[in-house]
Amino acid sequence: MNENIKRFSYPYIVWISIVIVIPVLLIFLYSFIQSTGEPVVFRFTLQNYRDFLDPIFLNVLWHSFIIAAISTAICLLLGYPVAWVVSRLKPHRQSSALMLFILPMWINMLLRTYAWITILSRQGILNKILARLGMGPFHMMYTDFSVSLGMVYNFLPFMILPIYTSILKVDGHLIDAARDLGASGSHVFRKVMLPLTMPGIITGVTMVFLPAMSTFVIPQLLGGGQYIMIGNLIERQFLLTGDWHFGSAISVVLMAFILLSVWAMKRFDGGGSQAGTAGKGALPW
Amino acid sequence: MKKWLILLAAVFLVSCGGDQRPRLFVYNVGEYMDTSVLEEFEEEYGVRVIYETFDSNETAYQKLKAGTTAYDVVFPSDYMIEKMIKEDMLEKLDFSLIPNFENLLPEFTYLEYDPKNLYSVPYFWGTVGIVYDTRLVNGSVDSWSALWDERYEKEIFMYDSQRDSLMVALKLLGYSLNTHKTEELEAAKSLLIKQSPFVIAYITDVVISNMIAGNAGLAVVYSGDAAYIMDENESMEYVIPKEGSNLWVDAMVIPKMSNNKELAHAFIDFILRPEIGLANTEYVMYSTPNALVLEELEGEGWTENDAFNPDLSKFPNLEMFKDPGEFVAEYDRIWIEILAGAK
Amino acid sequence: MANEVLIEIKDLTREFDGDIVLKGIDLIIHKNEFVTLLGPSGCGKTTLLRIIGGFDDPTSGSVLFDGMDLLKVPAYRREINTVFQKYAIFPHLNVYDNIAFGLRMKNLPESVVEEKVRRMLKMIRLEKQAKRNIDALSGGQQQRIAIARALVNQPKVLLLDEPLGALDLKLRQEMQYELKEMQRESGITFVFVTHDQEEALTMSDTIVVLNDGLIQQIGSPVDIYNEPRNRFVANFIGESNIARGKMLKDRRVEFEGHVFDCVDRGFNEDEEVDVVIRPEDLKIVSSGEGAFKGFVDAVIFKGVHYEIIVMVEDREYVIHSTQNANVGELVGMVVAPSDIHVMELGV
Repeated sequence: MNENIKRFSYPYIVWISIVIVIPVLLIFLYSFIQSTGEPVVFRFTLQNYRDFLDPIFLNVLWHSFIIAAISTAICLLLGYPVAWVVSRLKPHRQSSALMLFILPMWINMLLRTYAWITILSRQGILNKILARLGMGPFHMMYTDFSVSLGMVYNFLPFMILPIYTSILKVDGHLIDAARDLGASGSHVFRKVMLPLTMPGIITGVTMVFLPAMSTFVIPQLLGGGQYIMIGNLIERQFLLTGDWHFGSAISVVLMAFILLSVWAMKRFDGGGSQAGTAGKGALPW
Repeated sequence: MKKWLILLAAVFLVSCGGDQRPRLFVYNVGEYMDTSVLEEFEEEYGVRVIYETFDSNETAYQKLKAGTTAYDVVFPSDYMIEKMIKEDMLEKLDFSLIPNFENLLPEFTYLEYDPKNLYSVPYFWGTVGIVYDTRLVNGSVDSWSALWDERYEKEIFMYDSQRDSLMVALKLLGYSLNTHKTEELEAAKSLLIKQSPFVIAYITDVVISNMIAGNAGLAVVYSGDAAYIMDENESMEYVIPKEGSNLWVDAMVIPKMSNNKELAHAFIDFILRPEIGLANTEYVMYSTPNALVLEELEGEGWTENDAFNPDLSKFPNLEMFKDPGEFVAEYDRIWIEILAGAK
Repeated sequence: MANEVLIEIKDLTREFDGDIVLKGIDLIIHKNEFVTLLGPSGCGKTTLLRIIGGFDDPTSGSVLFDGMDLLKVPAYRREINTVFQKYAIFPHLNVYDNIAFGLRMKNLPESVVEEKVRRMLKMIRLEKQAKRNIDALSGGQQQRIAIARALVNQPKVLLLDEPLGALDLKLRQEMQYELKEMQRESGITFVFVTHDQEEALTMSDTIVVLNDGLIQQIGSPVDIYNEPRNRFVANFIGESNIARGKMLKDRRVEFEGHVFDCVDRGFNEDEEVDVVIRPEDLKIVSSGEGAFKGFVDAVIFKGVHYEIIVMVEDREYVIHSTQNANVGELVGMVVAPSDIHVMELGV
């Protein structure tokens, strides 16, 4: 039985290697090369990384982190309650409710993001409504606000689904037990739900933070060409400037940054659980 | 299993061998041609036109270098044609096959990027200028410095294009837009970074819908886009600033790799026909180098319009872009620093 | 039991989507009492327990706790704790923190918490495993933790929802004695839910037999066993033989074509009744000496006794005897008057 499974895994391993491992290795390799002159001369160097250490670029990395972190936090604050509400619906209603969040994702991301331009522009729908109420017009497009909004809108389902799944996994009797022992609503949440749904939260946060850190479409459309996040920086290197080596170096920095963030998050969760003491129970039961 | 393979093969062959007409591969900028004229060409010549589009000269250049498709007619811009000629990518044209060449205004022949006019035939031309909302701006605008006017804070759109935005700053400083002097570029960079608090954003063609809607007071646009904006929003005006600007020309060329050079020539000649030129001009709304087309448009408000048909003698400081060659690395560096440094 | 009244349940009903699970329950639970709610699946015993615990609300009726309206008080404020069927131990806390949970909810100082938890750990004999993770423990250990976690709060009432179901037989029996001891020592009222009648008979001071949302009988184990009030209780508790008979007059009943002396009275003359005889009370004699006779249909050795099935025409009688019998043999049966129990005719 195990032999069969091993055999089935070979094509998978080959696929993963071609599609993931090798391209990442290539990017890694590229980042250490500089090609100059005609005919092209390749030499191994750390210059690409040194170029990145310019305060301008470090600022871009920092700004991307801040915006990604804020968007992720908003997604968490919005997503948890939504996941909770959906989990409390009658089981047959739950899938319809989830559909409401998943369905927009079937529409092309570009179109979904473009739609916000119509809503947030100075002469857009939102300002027109606010004008009726005597407010505005507000300058919303091409700001941190519009970019964060675009990110939250696009990535919210990625936060809701894992949290919803982990909420469902929590035995309802545990909540009863907590209430029985004197825990009111907020206590139940803090002492029982939160620790038990932490895996879902971590997954959700990771799945939002990663694309939020590296996206370039949303900042470009909703922020403008001057709204440079680390993803835009990489994109411009590859598509406009044509300096694939510098672009690869920035990509490696981004990958390292993300891995660091994920590691930090895992430690935050892992540190919470108790270490079991050694020694078996002396009793047969 | 075998039966399925045979069936599949048969379907394949049938679908391939169906269309026996000769094919013409045309590679143009998006939204830059009234595609119904292609159908006319197909009917008249009994051929099939495969029409592909690109969004930037750089992309087109990369595709031609890669050589995966043997395009027959391509529509690049002035400086890119210059580069392609230098790299020997283009075919010398046989003008005996392009009699309609005489329809062109003489001032649009023998241009700097193709001084002996051996390789290209102009298609559309235009300028870069400021389109502004007369409801917001008091008086009229005549200088690039209007874009640095603090009265128009957050009312300004700049164009997300390296050369065009640098051009604005360089012209304002009195430098050439083809400068190879780093200190001049650095000055332009400082100027643009200083401007950034007043700028809403650097955008590309969404500027058209934004200005039509009235989402901003001033924007840097291409003349053809301005013509369209003004058509849709009567309070908009277009001006070519007095410090000068960029004059650009897009032209038709035949790459050396073309498999159907005779048909390509016929296509170019076809485009130069007055009725075809008219159809394209009315669709694209950019300035035409075709004298006969201009005649047709006289009196319809097109020819008196600076956006559409400026009197070039009034604007001596118009420059065409030249290929910066190796120096492009400096331009790239400066540009990224401007974008990343913008507030 | 002359104890004080603690919980007074009046006319409690619970309806779920047109399904009536409790049909008007009237029940009084006293202080320091070990009450068992006994019945088959779906009889409503768990629902009743959950309403007392505060995890469910009744459709109508009232519950008074120490004279106060309990239904107005949310679960987390009731002086009642529960041991759940599947223990519901918090997987993310260790043994110590699980037991301490309720005490911490009351914001007791940590020193007090420590003292109480340690005492509990000693009582359930898990002192050394205080800091252990829950998943490393056996079912029996988890169950003791669940009990400790509830008892440490010294509630007025402890609710137990079939807590012994997942344990093996030996362990179950030991726990039954343990729980009985705990209740006696602590003086806390235990309300215990089970479908196992043997368990109920072993542990309870009072048994409440439920079926289909209605109380069938309330009484001490001895009373319920010896004097089941209806067919259902008779069948549910212990094994019984039920025969259709006629009450001729007080202390005389006729069934199986024979007139017997018995000890019951209060029925109408010639009233049709159900007669209950426990298997261990029917004696097999030779066919000539019996009050009535039948053929031995089957003999099953049960260790403690033989289970002998005797067919009287098409009616089956179950007899428990230490003596063997031969299949196919014609035998007679006798029963002492005090072992005949007469009930109202059941449905």
